[in-house]
Amino acid sequence: MWTSLPVFGELVLFGVMISAAYTLAVSIVAGQGRPRWLEAARLGAYGTIAMVGLAILVLGYAFVTHDFRIRYVAHYSDRSMTPTYLLTALWGGQDGSLLWWLFLLSIYTGACVRWMHGRFRELQPWVIATLMTIMLFFCVLMAFAANPFATSVAGARLDGEGLNPLLQNFYMIIHPPALYTGFVGCAIPFAFAIAALITGRLDDEWLAACRNWMLFAWLFLSIGNALGMLWAYEELGWGGYWGWDPVENAACLPWFTASAYVHSLMVQERRGMLKVWNVVLVCLTFVLTIFGTFLTRSGLIASVHSFAQSGIGTYFLRFLALLIAAIVGLIVWRLPKLRSEGRIESIWSRDAAFLVNNWALLGIATFILVATVFPRISEWLLSQPSTVGPTFYNAWLPPVGLAVFALMGLGTVLGWRKTSVQAMRRALVLPTVAGTSLALAHIVFGARLGMPAIYAKERIYDGAIGVVLQRIDSVLPLIASFFVAFNTVVITQEFSIGVRARMRTHGEGIASALASLVGRARHRYGGYVVHLGVVVMFVGFTGWAFNVDKETSLKPGESFRVDRYTLTYLGPRMEVDQSKRMIFADVSVVDDAGHQVGRATPAKFIYKRMPDAPTTEVSMIHSLRDDVYVVVGNVSAESKVATFQVHINPLVSWIWVGVMMLIFGAVIAMWPETALAEAGASGWLRSAGAVTSVVVFGFMLAVAPARAFAQSTSSMHAGTVQIDDPKERELFVQLLCECGDCARLPLATCTCGEADQARAEVRAKMRDGVSVDAIKADYVQRYGSGALAVPPNKGGLRAIYLVPALAALFGAGIVVFVVRKWKRKNDEGDGPPPAGGGGADVWDAKLDEELKALDG
Amino acid sequence: MVDPNTDNAASSLDAWEERITRALPVLGPVVVVVAAFAAAYVVDIGASLLVLAGGVLLAVIGTLWASVRTLVGEAPTSLDVALALAAPTAAEEQKRAVLQALKDLEHERSLGKLDDADYTELKTRYRSQAKRLLQELDRDLEPRRAVAEAWVARALAGGSASAAARRAPRASGDGGKRPACGGCGTHNEPDARFCKGCGAKMGGPRADA
Repeated sequence: MWTSLPVFGELVLFGVMISAAYTLAVSIVAGQGRPRWLEAARLGAYGTIAMVGLAILVLGYAFVTHDFRIRYVAHYSDRSMTPTYLLTALWGGQDGSLLWWLFLLSIYTGACVRWMHGRFRELQPWVIATLMTIMLFFCVLMAFAANPFATSVAGARLDGEGLNPLLQNFYMIIHPPALYTGFVGCAIPFAFAIAALITGRLDDEWLAACRNWMLFAWLFLSIGNALGMLWAYEELGWGGYWGWDPVENAACLPWFTASAYVHSLMVQERRGMLKVWNVVLVCLTFVLTIFGTFLTRSGLIASVHSFAQSGIGTYFLRFLALLIAAIVGLIVWRLPKLRSEGRIESIWSRDAAFLVNNWALLGIATFILVATVFPRISEWLLSQPSTVGPTFYNAWLPPVGLAVFALMGLGTVLGWRKTSVQAMRRALVLPTVAGTSLALAHIVFGARLGMPAIYAKERIYDGAIGVVLQRIDSVLPLIASFFVAFNTVVITQEFSIGVRARMRTHGEGIASALASLVGRARHRYGGYVVHLGVVVMFVGFTGWAFNVDKETSLKPGESFRVDRYTLTYLGPRMEVDQSKRMIFADVSVVDDAGHQVGRATPAKFIYKRMPDAPTTEVSMIHSLRDDVYVVVGNVSAESKVATFQVHINPLVSWIWVGVMMLIFGAVIAMWPETALAEAGASGWLRSAGAVTSVVVFGFMLAVAPARAFAQSTSSMHAGTVQIDDPKERELFVQLLCECGDCARLPLATCTCGEADQARAEVRAKMRDGVSVDAIKADYVQRYGSGALAVPPNKGGLRAIYLVPALAALFGAGIVVFVVRKWKRKNDEGDGPPPAGGGGADVWDAKLDEELKALDG
Repeated sequence: MVDPNTDNAASSLDAWEERITRALPVLGPVVVVVAAFAAAYVVDIGASLLVLAGGVLLAVIGTLWASVRTLVGEAPTSLDVALALAAPTAAEEQKRAVLQALKDLEHERSLGKLDDADYTELKTRYRSQAKRLLQELDRDLEPRRAVAEAWVARALAGGSASAAARRAPRASGDGGKRPACGGCGTHNEPDARFCKGCGAKMGGPRADA
């Protein structure tokens, strides 16, 4: 064993710093138009990248050889871990995950530099310079604040502490890398945007260059978020998939801005409008990824994801400030060049619809952002601690999300530039009929299927706003089913019109017409497939309204009915392996028709290392209609009585199917236009990335049912709470558990002992006839205003919804202003100019030739 | 790149260097990965990581060294590095956008989203815009064409050592002279088979045939 391995690792880190600084300097000189320097910068970039790889390898070697002199290794691994989990430990902790960030960034940089070979002569040096600056920041961060090679003061230990068992599972191997791949991928479009701003070449070149990079990053953001949902659903055991945790929010914010960009870039490509806006969106997406990384690491806001609190927050804040200042400065400097030549022919066009789409997506992002950082803001500005729990988001966001969902279908109906009234009427007939029929069917049959069109939603505020919000929320399933049918038909219609047009004009059969239609406009039809995936996901999200939760304790042989299922407890069963004892409580599930649905095997795992903290293993039976989600609370050794929590979660599987469709659509949209061999590195990268991601995700879904046995996971807050009384539920969703351990879970879902006690107290008070308001006031008095899941609707705390609402209004004002300006420009604009002079014929022929070349 | 003006020893060294720089990025990783697998199989995964790290370290040294050499002008420049791609001008990009718009218009009409009156009006507007851009581009190109031709002529005449000049086929003796087309009088390259002005066949056998 080397005696100086940690020192060597640290040296490599400094080496990366020096080499990145060298490359930065050289590429800035190359930016003055010196090809030789550019070549040197490219080589320097490769060298820097290789050096980052070296750093990762050194850390990997330290893990594999159990070099516990290194603090990070000692902290996140032990001798019993298999090489695969040792690999996971590379990004399991803060310092390592920063190195991992840098490593992914360098892979992206390598692919990008290779891809830029021989093109973007002017942009290239600045792209490299921007990427090197980002690398430099992470190097400085690691070298001075979060060094993964730092040694323990106390010297090497005999064995390490081991990775948190919560992280030792299949999802932790792939969920963070997928999300990071998405996060870090946003750096490449950002680098192009900065390069375009610096060189002043703000036309379509940089847009075309970074479109596929952005799509790639967007795809991985989607996959990463979907995997996070799967992880929460399958491992955390509280029966849901999205808890509005600050870190979850931070991960989905760039997704919204990236989605907005993917739409608005088409407007610039075709119409030369929205130039400033596109630059802003790309930069905003990148800033949000850095912000997300900052949020996870600084411990700014309590979250289940947070790494230990550390001093790197200030570094991130300074970097963010620097970034924003640089971006704003550059944009202001280049504003004259960013003037749009925009002109809009009609408000009823896709161009205008994209503006509205951007407004809505940004609106959601703003809403989530404000709510996420609100606890800190309210503390600083209003000196009133507050907490924003899932209850708040679940009341506000579904209507907003559904509005965007509706826009998705309406926008698709419109054509570019101008849509005639008859065409629009024609296009709207079928979708409206379909939507209305499904909505009617929902009203008639919904209740019978356990999915009523209108459901009882708890009220989160007193007063008018609370009532309005409650009303809107409770009819959402009905609206959702209308738009699900509407959007499906809109998309199908788009395909069928295109296919029919091709069959008519080219005389092709259906299959070949479809293939050539999609092949010729991959972005458009790939996008439609993505939309279809979103429709299917919305079906899944709607199922959330019909969840049924029950809790019971059973003796072996006893049965229990939930919703349309009868569960029979067969008895406990114990298995033992090297590291743990596993106690299974087998349950047979039969539906109302008498069919055997399957056998659920929820379990408690008792690890030798932690005999006092048994972990809870969820068992699920999936079907398209609903998931039977069974958790065992505890099993008595003498009487064999077991307590169960059972959730019937309707339609959840649709979400995962929708995600698969979304991935498939994104792959179509990204599929390189030219043959793979010609497209070069990025073509291969895209195809390879796409294929792997689909395979990986499909594989995971395929093995999902089997994993219940194979996993060695623990769940911090397993189980649920039985609440039958709606009044109780309304109260419990608003009060947060104050044990200090389970970050921000409301009493309605938290299952720790403290929450049990708190619930018992509240129930006792309710029995004594104490009013809901009095109970809430008492709770706040005891634990502070931060103990409420929904910031009270009074005084400055109203800012939480007023700020996003005002921002949205302001945005709407801008959209209206811009559209009117463009429209006016068009109306008084240069009309049809004189139809050429004498040379018209020559140029007409040339134009036709060029058009033909475009088709070819 | 081989420079005909320097002596043979240096040129063969340069040729070797070029061969090595071409082969290394391909062969190097293969060798290292094979060695790493062998190490994992024979010793353990730790040894394999060490082999990989060693390979990467060599790559770091190699690329940074090459970078510094390029910077100080010692490394020979390869042709594709020297050939800077001319990036499209703003007018060219605008032209592309207008052409795309015309194509979209056709598509939109074939899908029945646009009625004929609107279609005709929009099409006229975009076509005239496109034509204006085409004319503009052609005008812009004219002076540059002359400059480029002058460069090529000078390179062919002077026998300069630049890569482009050497790639051009040898014009046997009459480097600077450019035959005129019999039909339209345009000057053409010495090895041209067809006139670039009118497309007529150039008279007589080619100079280097």
